[in-house]
Amino acid sequence: MAIALAVSPTRMELLKLKQRVGLAQKGHDLLKEKMDALVIEFFEVVRRIQEARMKAFDQLSVAHRALSMGFAVVGTLETKQASKETKRELQVEISTRHIMGIAVPAVEVGEVERNALVRGYGLHMTSSVLDEASREFERALKLLIELAELEASAFAIVRELEKTKRRVNALEYILIPRLREALKFIMMRLDEMERENFTRLKRIKAMMEKRE
Amino acid sequence: MSYRIAVVGDQDTVTGLALAGATYAHIHTTNEETLAKLNEFFDSEEIGVLLITHRVAEELGYDFRRMVRTKRLLPLVLRIPDKTGYVPKVDELREIIRRTVGAEIMIKKEGS
Repeated sequence: MAIALAVSPTRMELLKLKQRVGLAQKGHDLLKEKMDALVIEFFEVVRRIQEARMKAFDQLSVAHRALSMGFAVVGTLETKQASKETKRELQVEISTRHIMGIAVPAVEVGEVERNALVRGYGLHMTSSVLDEASREFERALKLLIELAELEASAFAIVRELEKTKRRVNALEYILIPRLREALKFIMMRLDEMERENFTRLKRIKAMMEKRE
Repeated sequence: MSYRIAVVGDQDTVTGLALAGATYAHIHTTNEETLAKLNEFFDSEEIGVLLITHRVAEELGYDFRRMVRTKRLLPLVLRIPDKTGYVPKVDELREIIRRTVGAEIMIKKEGS
């Protein structure tokens, strides 16, 4: 049972309350619509994440296998050395996009895959197995970056969804019932006052008739 | 704006992703060291994407989760499986869905 607001039982107050209930109801409906839209958006993103995740993680395990080959053929130290020598200047463009007022990151990955000559490690100490491993990791990295974008948007949407849900519930289960309770209280009170008045008049009338 | 990539993880993951062009890398040995390095990465204006293996993320536990929660919009943090393909049983995203929507939701692949 909602606790009634402390209100004075007057007609002015009644009118004001009615207005507030109307407003709260309208806000509630709007928020609910927003929530529905967010849920649809969210599930779309989640579906895409699952596809992207599977693809990226598969590619990553392929890359790891290729790297193990690199370790075996070229040697652990040489491979590590190559990973230090290689040009590590991959850049991604990140800006923000807005989905229904939520800022989500938008990532643009350029070409990640490079030519063996551009990579920058010495070719005479390494072998084509290492080139292979690098290529697989480059592919994996591209997929992983795309996945990171999707996951970040999912988290942003979910945070907003939680906030919206809280607001909807606060309106639906607390504010609106309280206002209605107060409304009911005022109406009852006004009716009661009217009845009191009515009997009072009756009684006065009876008294006046007796006196005559 | 263009940003760079950072990797935190075991030797193999870091080596591989460094070969692929990730600019910043840290090989996890002790929690203190890794956390200090992560702090540096999170403060950096240059890093746009941070990749960390699930195993390391789990080992860091609460400290890491708090870092992720309090970070700015960037860097984007993605947890990845390591060489053994280790992924925790409790999927974080699924956990969040369960909490917000209040029901376990299975998403089927299209056509199945």
